[in-house]
Amino acid sequence: MSEYLKVLAKMAKKWTKIIGEGKSLRSITIKKYVRKGIPGEHRGLVWLAVSGGEDMKNASPDLYQKLLLSPHNVETAEIIKTDLPRTFPDNIFFNNTENQQHQLYNVLLAFAHQNKTVGYCQGLNYIAGLLLLVTKSEETAFWLLKVLIDKILPDYYTCTMDGLLTDIDVLAELVRIKMPDVYQHVTNVGLPWPVITTKWFVCLFAEVLPIETTLRIWDCLFYEGTKIIFRVALTLIKRNKSNLLACQDFTTLAECFKEITKDSIVLRCHEFMQSIFKVPGSLPGNTIAKLRTKHMQQRIKRKQDKLER
Amino acid sequence: MATRGTAQRPNGSTQGKICQFKLVLLGESAVGKSSLVLRFVKGQFHEYQESTIGAAFLTQTVCLDDTTVKFEIWDTAGQERYHSLAPMYYRGAQAAIVVYDITNQDTFSRAQTWVKELQRQASPSIVIALAGNKADLANKRVVEYDEAQTYADENGLLFMETSAKTAMNVNDIFLAIAKKLPKNEQSGSASTSGQGRRLVESDGQKAATGNCCK
Ligand SMILES: Nc1nc2c(ncn2[C@@H]2O[C@H](COP(=O)(O)OP(=O)(O)O)[C@@H](O)[C@H]2O)c(=O)[nH]1
Ligand SMILES: [Mg+2]
Repeated sequence: MSEYLKVLAKMAKKWTKIIGEGKSLRSITIKKYVRKGIPGEHRGLVWLAVSGGEDMKNASPDLYQKLLLSPHNVETAEIIKTDLPRTFPDNIFFNNTENQQHQLYNVLLAFAHQNKTVGYCQGLNYIAGLLLLVTKSEETAFWLLKVLIDKILPDYYTCTMDGLLTDIDVLAELVRIKMPDVYQHVTNVGLPWPVITTKWFVCLFAEVLPIETTLRIWDCLFYEGTKIIFRVALTLIKRNKSNLLACQDFTTLAECFKEITKDSIVLRCHEFMQSIFKVPGSLPGNTIAKLRTKHMQQRIKRKQDKLER
Repeated sequence: MATRGTAQRPNGSTQGKICQFKLVLLGESAVGKSSLVLRFVKGQFHEYQESTIGAAFLTQTVCLDDTTVKFEIWDTAGQERYHSLAPMYYRGAQAAIVVYDITNQDTFSRAQTWVKELQRQASPSIVIALAGNKADLANKRVVEYDEAQTYADENGLLFMETSAKTAMNVNDIFLAIAKKLPKNEQSGSASTSGQGRRLVESDGQKAATGNCCK
């Protein structure tokens, strides 16, 4: 741990300097720094800058305020309201003060209002909640949520959740390629991949992994995109391969998949983040792109076949 | 599938059957599915229960005469868009609890839609229970007991009003399901689920010696 604190101190200095200089944040050096973790105090602004959220915001600077003032869909507002007290109920930093819940409500409702295909999807409460914790600003949280959903992630949260189910198929195929024994075992036991991984993708590991580890993952997510989600998932699976293979039935295997997100290494976020770039091996962006296209097409075809029958 | 096994008691004599059943909870968001499971499995209630994403999985064992019934419980997400994932959870289930909130009429209609879907798509022998939850909020009641009971009778469902908050009827509804489930070797739907599973020896021992069976 003290080692990690030293790294943090060193990196904090570097980041203060970088931000002071006001230069572009997209470079090989910065990418390396991002992988080592963005200091908490700079996180929100760096995420906004490196993800393109800042450009979006500059293009329509008063969008958020306008959205807050416009009339809202009553039904959406109701669904969001039921989830407010249910977001991180046990988190001491998100201790459900009226004010925090109100901010969360505003962010989610404003988002739903301007993205009608997504509206509100359960799970976004956890993401927006964590964004608020980091940025302490409704407006910044809103833009980060918008950039995540409109730009970084495929269609995870739309009504059909096709992008989500496709990415789960992609992960399953990556497991098949990289760890055929695990893939075969999960198939034999009959545990569907969405049962295991829906929450991983929907919450982007919020409420799955410890907070600091999740934030370190998000550092890379905002900078490098969705590939990181696959890296994390593959790392979790590979590190626990022998435990998973030892589970002989559906129940114990499902339990084991729950346990691997509590593996002691996920608490050591620095070590864990180093391991995600080594453990799964190479993972070119175009492999993921190709697999996505393939599985999306298969998904559409299956749907059509079902309709025709 | 119901798996029959005989486990050794600590004193060496053989104990009755052990059956394992898959049970799924369905119903609109925030009706109290997760709370019912938490009450049944851990005896707790949280005023602010986290919203369930995808599904959660828990197990609990109950004893009926000389049979140990182990429930594999799948608690699902309620929002409509997670609906496409639901068949994954009810496929191969031997039992389902469809939950509504007695203070919210829409959730009762939604429960009926779930029942229809189960009757069409799930295993034909599935045991379905209807739970009218939040019965402690009687002053806010909008769904009448008789209305739900009539509906349940017409559709061959078990029915109880429950409260995860006060624990009213929570164990009872699971027990009633356990009683209704067939406990012979042929029961269940392993062949259709493709998820056949056997109780491993150690698993069986745990269930048999668990506190539920004295
Ligand atoms: N008064 C009362 N509240 C309940 C009861 N069961 C659940 N709740 C509350 O209703 C909300 C939603 O419950 P939850 O279990 O998350 O519902 P789910 O979305 O169906 O899983 C939570 O705030 C619970 O505390 C109950 O029996 N009585
Ligand atoms: Mg729930």
